[in-house]
Amino acid sequence: MSLLAVSGLTKRYRRGGGTVAAVDGVAFAIEPGETLALAGPSGSGKSTIARLVLRLTEPDAGTIQFEGADFRSLGGSALRARRARLQMVFQDPLAAFNPRATVARVLDDPLRIHGIASRTERPRRIAALLERVGLGADLAPRAIHEISGGQRQRVAIARAIATKPSLIVLDEAVSALDVSVRGRILDLLLDLQATERIAYLFISHDLGVVRAVAHRLVILDAGRVAESGDARAVIGNPQSAIGRALVAAAPRLNRTTAP
Amino acid sequence: MTALLSIRDLTVSYRGDGREVPALRGVSLEIEAGERLAIIGESGSGKSTLALAIAGLLARGARIGGAIEWAMPNLQMPHSFAPPSVLPDISPTRGEISSSVAGTSFSTSMIGESGNEKAISPLVGEMSGRTEGGAVERRPLHLGSAVPRLGRDIGFVFQDPSSSLDPVMPVGKQIAEVALTHLGLSWPQAYAHAKTLLERVRLPDPDASMRAYPHQLSGGQKQRVAIAAAIAAGPKLLIADEATSALDTIVQAEIVSLIRRLVAEDGMTLLFISHDIALAAELAERIAVFRYGELLELGTTAQIVNAPRHAYTRALLDAHLGLDAGPLRQAGAPA
Ligand SMILES: Nc1ncnc2c1ncn2[C@@H]1O[C@H](COP(=O)(O)OP(=O)(O)OP(=O)(O)O)[C@@H](O)[C@H]1O
Ligand SMILES: [Mg+2]
Repeated sequence: MSLLAVSGLTKRYRRGGGTVAAVDGVAFAIEPGETLALAGPSGSGKSTIARLVLRLTEPDAGTIQFEGADFRSLGGSALRARRARLQMVFQDPLAAFNPRATVARVLDDPLRIHGIASRTERPRRIAALLERVGLGADLAPRAIHEISGGQRQRVAIARAIATKPSLIVLDEAVSALDVSVRGRILDLLLDLQATERIAYLFISHDLGVVRAVAHRLVILDAGRVAESGDARAVIGNPQSAIGRALVAAAPRLNRTTAP
Repeated sequence: MTALLSIRDLTVSYRGDGREVPALRGVSLEIEAGERLAIIGESGSGKSTLALAIAGLLARGARIGGAIEWAMPNLQMPHSFAPPSVLPDISPTRGEISSSVAGTSFSTSMIGESGNEKAISPLVGEMSGRTEGGAVERRPLHLGSAVPRLGRDIGFVFQDPSSSLDPVMPVGKQIAEVALTHLGLSWPQAYAHAKTLLERVRLPDPDASMRAYPHQLSGGQKQRVAIAAAIAAGPKLLIADEATSALDTIVQAEIVSLIRRLVAEDGMTLLFISHDIALAAELAERIAVFRYGELLELGTTAQIVNAPRHAYTRALLDAHLGLDAGPLRQAGAPA
């Protein structure tokens, strides 16, 4: 059984006089330990799908099955328990956290809310989480706004893995980072996936990044699935017009010497 | 080739938290008339500071040393410039100061998170492009008696088009005002000129677009308008500072080819500032690589891409994730 399966997923927004379907009958599934990428131009519905999957937005139609349960009908403690298994990392962690909160506080919250560690045990858990994402424990007392963008993204990942999730939704999580920092964050994500068997719903408009990390790829256009399949196969031989446009637009280095 | 401008030993530092933060450290380079030159580097490398220094847009608090000499005909005497009405918030916050993760396959020791002592904090390094009320005091660093005017001699395109567009004025009028200010046209002439420019930047339905407000346009359309305004007075030099970084890949490619076409048609010199070495290589004839406020190397695009002299440049090239790169993870089914 798939870890996550959505079908008929639809979300409409009012615009001007009428409505637009930001997401229009989308279906896909993610297996445990797998990375599924969502790619597509701006406005194609990627972030809306992320919010629907995370239940930050209610769909107008469609089903969301997560770990065998109908995610939409869950409520109360059952929903809270499932939420711990489904985490998120967004492009701008500064927007996701209170910038004045300390790193320790940001990591303490999920451990406390989900009852994962006792008060006395938590500082040790926080240090271990920081170490797991390649940060020193000395970062714990620093405020979120005092650390760099890449460090913040590591803290966001540490927070996401604090509750031992089976799936993390990453919405343009590496898009704002310098290439070298981006490389290290991607390495960290691959390493976490290999050791903890976490699945990723990896949203990006950058096919180069997608090709480097994703097993499978869904290309969206105007809220619909334009094509999907093995990530390298789709990028190597796109069938849809939007897939071809995305591939054609990716900047190429054309190095004549082997890297 | 003759130089359009020569930059000699340019040093810029910003004051932040009571200390002096260097942003450029003794940079010397020449920009040839009519060339497409890319400046690339990561957060805090000083590339935006260079662009602002050339455009005369550095904030009051910046300390400047060195010289920028222009070889432009018909320059005006100093103090006659008109500062732009709206200035964007220039504060790159990408990147990371320091942290360490051992033995990762994407990474290289030369770039990124190395925690190098010389690293300019991206949190403070390039933040000072903004002053209160949008007014900017021009820094008298152009040693010659004549200085170029922003808008007339230099066109500047910022990353966020909204920052350089007036939200409550129709875009046609905004472009016409640039033409009116710098070209000495009558209002009907300036307005007609603006419409021609909207056609040149390929905005759909130029007549309707003339009356549109910025919020009614997509990000890519807004950037087209910002480009139209930047070239409205026929500048010799067009500076594009991360002008496509906020756009999706498809729109980015469109804007890059638009810039290439306009620069060729008008014989402009292009200074293209980007963190993306592949994008720079697609557009520029020469590439200058910056790190920690220093110019590391400058060469033709072929030279930089195929025979970089500096290990940092090689590391940047290796960090590029192209569609032709070898596998970075084991292919096949997930574990
Ligand atoms: N809260 C909202 N209210 C109204 N319209 C919305 C809302 N959120 C999204 N939309 C619209 O839904 C469509 C899809 O937007 P979405 O943010 O999901 O795209 P995206 O693929 O994530 O784009 P990007 O690459 O720019 O992040 C767009 O037309 C957008 O304007
Ligand atoms: Mg989005």
